[in-house]
Amino acid sequence: MIAFHEVSVRYPRRGVPALDAVSLAAPRGALTAVVGPNGSGKSTLVRALVGRVPLASGRITVDDRSVDDAGRRALATRVAVVVQREEPAFPLRVHEYVALGRYPHLGLFRAPSRADRDAVMGALMRTGVVHLVDRSITELSGGEWQRVRLARAVAQGGDAIVLDEPTTFLDVGHEMGVFELMSRLAKEGRAVLLVSHQLNLVARFADHIVLLHRGEVAASGSPADVMQGAVLERVYEWPLVVTRDPAVGAPALVPLRAPSRD
Amino acid sequence: MFFASHTGRVAIALSWSALALLGACRTDAPRAAGAHDDFGDAIASAPTPPHRIVSLNPTTTELLYAIGAGDRLVGRTTWDLYPSQVRDVPDLGPGLRPNVEAVIATRPDLVILYASDDNRDAARRLRAAGIRTVAYRVDRIVDFARVTQALGALTGDTVAARVTVDTVQRTLARVRAATATLQHPAAFWILWENPLLAVGGGSFLNELLTAAGARNVYDSLPGPSPAVSFEDLVRRDPDVVLASPESRRHMLADPRWQALRAVRDGRVLVFDTTIVNGPSARVGASAVSLARLLHPGSI
Amino acid sequence: MRLSRWALIVVVLLVAAVVGVAYGTLRLTPLEVLHGALGTGSATQVVVVRQLRLPRVLLAALVGAGLGASGAALQGATRNGLAEPYLLGVSGGAAVGAVIAVALHAPAAVVPLAGLVGALAAVALSLVVARASGGQGDARVVLMAGVVVGAFANAAIMVALAGVDANAVRGALWWMMGSAADATWGQVRALAVYVAIGVGALLALARAIDLLALGEDAAAGMGVDVARVTLAVYVAGALLAAGTVAAAGLVGFVGLLVPHLARMAGARTHRSIIGAAALGGAALTVLADLVARVAHPPAELPLGAVTAILGVPFFLSRLRRLT
Repeated sequence: MIAFHEVSVRYPRRGVPALDAVSLAAPRGALTAVVGPNGSGKSTLVRALVGRVPLASGRITVDDRSVDDAGRRALATRVAVVVQREEPAFPLRVHEYVALGRYPHLGLFRAPSRADRDAVMGALMRTGVVHLVDRSITELSGGEWQRVRLARAVAQGGDAIVLDEPTTFLDVGHEMGVFELMSRLAKEGRAVLLVSHQLNLVARFADHIVLLHRGEVAASGSPADVMQGAVLERVYEWPLVVTRDPAVGAPALVPLRAPSRD
Repeated sequence: MFFASHTGRVAIALSWSALALLGACRTDAPRAAGAHDDFGDAIASAPTPPHRIVSLNPTTTELLYAIGAGDRLVGRTTWDLYPSQVRDVPDLGPGLRPNVEAVIATRPDLVILYASDDNRDAARRLRAAGIRTVAYRVDRIVDFARVTQALGALTGDTVAARVTVDTVQRTLARVRAATATLQHPAAFWILWENPLLAVGGGSFLNELLTAAGARNVYDSLPGPSPAVSFEDLVRRDPDVVLASPESRRHMLADPRWQALRAVRDGRVLVFDTTIVNGPSARVGASAVSLARLLHPGSI
Repeated sequence: MRLSRWALIVVVLLVAAVVGVAYGTLRLTPLEVLHGALGTGSATQVVVVRQLRLPRVLLAALVGAGLGASGAALQGATRNGLAEPYLLGVSGGAAVGAVIAVALHAPAAVVPLAGLVGALAAVALSLVVARASGGQGDARVVLMAGVVVGAFANAAIMVALAGVDANAVRGALWWMMGSAADATWGQVRALAVYVAIGVGALLALARAIDLLALGEDAAAGMGVDVARVTLAVYVAGALLAAGTVAAAGLVGFVGLLVPHLARMAGARTHRSIIGAAALGGAALTVLADLVARVAHPPAELPLGAVTAILGVPFFLSRLRRLT
């Protein structure tokens, strides 16, 4: 559904390209994860999708139509993007904040309808933050804030959700909750594209993993294909082993201690 | 042409009075003519009267012509425009912070500066160049008498100076006598419209107004050209307004000025004064014409 | 924001307007004021109330509304509580236009127009400079271009003032310090249309500003054309400010202060913030004009000076809150 075709991005005045001929596809009904070390280009991928950085070459398509053709607002009705960093300057209430997600459907002038209000309420319930409805977003804990952001993306509707590091600040329970939600959204038929550094959780939930290294695709495939010790060690530049955890049946990455120096 | 218009002249006059205010506030203690100038500096003596005079002060320029020393002028400021012969005298630039080099280039033997703190530096440098320099301020009518006689002493035209002063003082006395028994209307004299500037108690124009038989509503304000608010003017309710022709046109066309009883009653008098620079030898004639305007048939 | 708060702001504005018309250097009893307004009083009362005070109060209210709305929109779009309406070199450009007009001894009616032309030229120049630097899509580049244009304008003002007579300097300074003293009904009508269009445009962009206020990447993720909308907000805000400058000179701090007050009163979305800031700005400027008129008779204080005096304690309180 969302596809990157040989996408290259170069930030001005940098020698090395941030993304170099990256191709990947996030189909409907699947959870696709993009992983890689810091600086590998993961966030650049998301920024390129929303048009915040220009492409040096290649194209990005949604349902085989280039993202430039449709218009940003029309695109946003089909693809909800939760970026990594969001710094709200002003204290909105949670319900007002989640309602902002309906902007692509409403534009500047249309008043919210029943359908819009239902979408907002539904999103609040699905992400489990209904009890926070009247709180100011500046008063939320880190974990509550992440879930509210997810609620906004769900309220935005559409067939695809793209999330950049959605589980920062979340404790184990909430993090699992988010991954479960993303998995459910994917099974309901959406394309879910996830950027994360939580390799072990990704290995358990994702249908397809793309490993980026210095702007290039180092590996792409099912979790079993990508979670290989040799390639991961090269990419992350740290000694590690990949085991298979019998309790969950998915490959797990175990970093090793650095050799002690005496 | 800007300078020929009343606006221009008022602008010039206000430049001087505004800058006079910006300069040091000194007490106007009259000093003996010939001993010290208005900077308090001793006046250097010279064996012969000067014959190359630079006057960087519109009022002293006028006074020099009045006492018959005008033909000795070799330099004036851009703002010196009266009498008309002065246009043939070289224009040396501004009277405040003058171009000292240009002054020295005319090889003067006497330089008369405007006595403002801005000019102390110029006075010092001219004296250091060996040029006899004096500084005067003619703000009020009493200064007119004093400075005319000082100039007469400097140029050797003491008789002409005395005659000039006496003529003016006699005229002023005549005007005061003619209007003394008449009812003095409350007057407002507008100097500038934006901001609204009035003739204040510190201006010689105020003295002129009093001599001509009127009472300035802003007599109590010490400055020469204070800014006032329009409503305050309405509160003071003048009987008559004195204005330039352009200001009068603006006032009659502007509905806000109808708040003044004087405007509604048609008592806006045009006084195209040519003496706004400072009290010069023409101040007597001005008092006469002003009295005739305020009290027709009195003089 | 609760309805009661809105009602309170409207009441404050109405009270300010009534007080502004009722008080002045000329003491009038409330009955005389009423007669003046109705046209049944003495000629002096009628002219003072209808030709002097009413246009002034209305002009001050419109100026305050324009500045408040502009400041609110710009603070939202830049996510910076210190943004103010005189971005993009508006104040510098307006001052250059007005100073040149005063220096050339242009008639009084021309000076505000020259100020407007100068302000518009500054905005256009900022956009051109941003484009020439290759960054017209980046809000920060546009802002910096505005700073550059403003600095250039300040230099131009100093050069212009150095070469003119003292009275032109006095007139130019008077204009730059801001005043509603020359308000006429013609000006009020023109400004009313201008401010209505400007505030309307900003209110129309309010939803997009809410999204911009979350961060540019986040807004882009929700379909906002960040570059275009940001530019639209800057230009609309700057043009609105330019109109107020043309009417009343430079009136500082209103556009900076009032949005904070609106947010403190509980306005959260920008439709509320901009609306409340417009109303609050109107009330504040009307009161400031009253103070300017009566605080130091017989002279008038410049309006910009009174609003600046209000700004200082506000900033001190914000500083204390930071520490």
